Amino acid sequence: MATHFEKQLEELHVQMITMGSLCEKVISLSVQAVLQKNEKVVSQVFETDHEIDKKEREIENLCMSLLLHYHPVAGDLRQISAALKMVSDMERIGDQAADIADLSVFIDRKAVMIPQAIADMAEQAVKMVTDSVDAFVKADLGLCRKVIADDDIVDDAFNEVKEGLARAIYGGSLDAKTGLDLLMTAKYFERIGDHAVNIAEWVEYSITGHHGGELS
Amino acid sequence: MTKKILKSMMLVSVTVLALGLAFVMGILYRYFGEQIGEELKNEAAFLRYGVEQQGMDYLENTSLKKNRITYIDSDGTVLFDSEADADSMENHAHREEVLEAVSTGSGQAVRMSRTLLEKTIYYAVRLADGKILRVSSTQYSVFALMLELVQPVFCILGLLVLLSGIMSYRLSAKIVEPLNELDLEHPEENDVYAEIGPLLSKMHRQNVTISQQLKEARQQQEKFALVAGNMKEGLLLIDSSAHILSGNTGAARLFRVSDIPCGSSVYLLNRSEEFRKMITEVLQGGHREVVLAIGEMQVQAVANPVMEAGQTAGAVLLFLNVTEKMERETLRREFSANVSHELKTPLTSISGYAELIRDGFVRQEDVQGFAERIYREAQRLIQLVEDTIRLSRLDEGSTSMELEETDLYDLTKEIFSGLTQKAEEKHVRLYVESGRMKIHTIPSVMGEILYNLCDNAIKYNREGGSVSVWFADSEEGLRIGVRDTGIGIPVEEQNRIFERFYRVDKSHSSEVGGTGLGLSIVKHGMELLNGEIRLESEVDKGTEVILEWKK
Repeated sequence: MATHFEKQLEELHVQMITMGSLCEKVISLSVQAVLQKNEKVVSQVFETDHEIDKKEREIENLCMSLLLHYHPVAGDLRQISAALKMVSDMERIGDQAADIADLSVFIDRKAVMIPQAIADMAEQAVKMVTDSVDAFVKADLGLCRKVIADDDIVDDAFNEVKEGLARAIYGGSLDAKTGLDLLMTAKYFERIGDHAVNIAEWVEYSITGHHGGELS
Repeated sequence: MTKKILKSMMLVSVTVLALGLAFVMGILYRYFGEQIGEELKNEAAFLRYGVEQQGMDYLENTSLKKNRITYIDSDGTVLFDSEADADSMENHAHREEVLEAVSTGSGQAVRMSRTLLEKTIYYAVRLADGKILRVSSTQYSVFALMLELVQPVFCILGLLVLLSGIMSYRLSAKIVEPLNELDLEHPEENDVYAEIGPLLSKMHRQNVTISQQLKEARQQQEKFALVAGNMKEGLLLIDSSAHILSGNTGAARLFRVSDIPCGSSVYLLNRSEEFRKMITEVLQGGHREVVLAIGEMQVQAVANPVMEAGQTAGAVLLFLNVTEKMERETLRREFSANVSHELKTPLTSISGYAELIRDGFVRQEDVQGFAERIYREAQRLIQLVEDTIRLSRLDEGSTSMELEETDLYDLTKEIFSGLTQKAEEKHVRLYVESGRMKIHTIPSVMGEILYNLCDNAIKYNREGGSVSVWFADSEEGLRIGVRDTGIGIPVEEQNRIFERFYRVDKSHSSEVGGTGLGLSIVKHGMELLNGEIRLESEVDKGTEVILEWKK
């Protein structure tokens, strides 16, 4: 029979999965908002972001209650402290997705085509978030390392987008204001990739006891 | 058990030892007291004789000085005492033993010292002259004796307790040993104490029952696993806290995991919003059906709660891969929409022309032209209905046509002759590139396929183009090709052209003619003949359709 502590720990795991799933939802919605202007999608992004914030509070409270009541040690402590760190990264992903949706409203799609590089980048960021949540759910070290390695792809893609936009603005085919909005959008996707890496590092920490940054 | 036995044995032996010692000491003490009394009596009798013979001088000279001797006058005055000064002693007339001796001739008394450590036994006799002779002996009391003996007694007691402790330990271990070595797997085969016989036989019966029940349970489980394992559908059982109790390989396949993680949360398999909502609702006792997107797959999930005493004890989840079904449904919807559209177009034209003629808006000399148009549209309708019938016949696979030896060259020539008029209208030349070749096939189906391919090749050709048919039988297999020099098919459309009513150029379909069912007939025909279709096409250059039967 599972003890109350074990049940609460399991509950934490389920809550984390739920929050991860919300993150996946919010970021794919924000991609949709960028690619096809849709007021409904934008408002959905904001709703989901709000939900994520609420979930963060819930998980924080659960973690605190676990820490105060049971004084966990070793693996349990790592799991809880990693969860505490992960929720803040997940919450940031939600915020950034909301920022992207916010910007998407100002992009005039009749005048500009969304560059394919941004679409690719968004797809890669979504994949990284999905992979990092998967890595957490399945406690999969290999997937963690893959996410950490994949960050370079997003970073390179961002540089490519930046140069492309700079050329377009300089050449006069893109007005500077929209160009900057697109650049910001790309930057937010790049940041989301970074947060996915953070999540993966904390998953790695909760499994091995070593934080990703320390090893190198 | 060993402890308990050891404790009891120790208690018994210590009690026995202590009691034994106490009894022995008590008995010995009494015995010695009596002995001393007897001794005093004898001594007194001896002394009495001496005193009666020699008087007080005897007392002063006697060698019997071991015990205290007191000589008392008949009035109680002490005349002689062997251990004290007689003159300083008080009158002894009222002493218990003296009084007794005066009245009965002899008297005995025992007095304890003030500290109770010593006991003095007195024996007095009345002499013939009425004087009293008293002999007394002092001995240690029981308490004194005990105090004196405390050390050795306790030493002995300790030694004995130690000895009995060791023995008790050995003994109790020996008693318990066979119990410890009981073979509980085969209780009846043990040869130990008769007292636990009934217990062992009861155990044996229970063992038998348990193993039988286990076997039955395992069989049941195997049966269930066999049934569930052979299901193509995924099956999951979860408990009320959404933990997986059991799942079959079908479920593992659908969720793309190597094993169903029994005992873990069901959200490990899928965490999408629809799935979470479904689980929450079903665990509240509701029935739910949703379609989940897992990767490229569309999976229909049916969730039913398991109720126990009015409460949800868990849920049964069934998963069906409905990807193909949903795709087919989309196609069917498109097909019926297309059919109605294709049927409606010629009918609208016919009805329009007929209306004009009826209302007299058409001049007499134009009526023939209109009739011609009505005739053409009606022909198109007939063609469409015929194609649809043929297609459904191929769909059902009910064509009970038999394989016959057919010459492909003759068959192609026959088809060409039917198409000559169409080809001449477009100035398209028709060729057969290969010589005679006999194959086993269903001639009507094969003819249908070739006719439709050639018909298309002419229809979508350019003015003055050509259509050629070739066939080859190599080691790889039999191949038949139909090549044209027409408009070609864009790459992104190549996958769709075999769908019913699909037209690459939708706006000009009525000019070109045809029903949009031709390639669909080809596709179904090839399925019937177990062949494959390959398409090589380049826009504005031409198309080559290759029919292939791999060996």
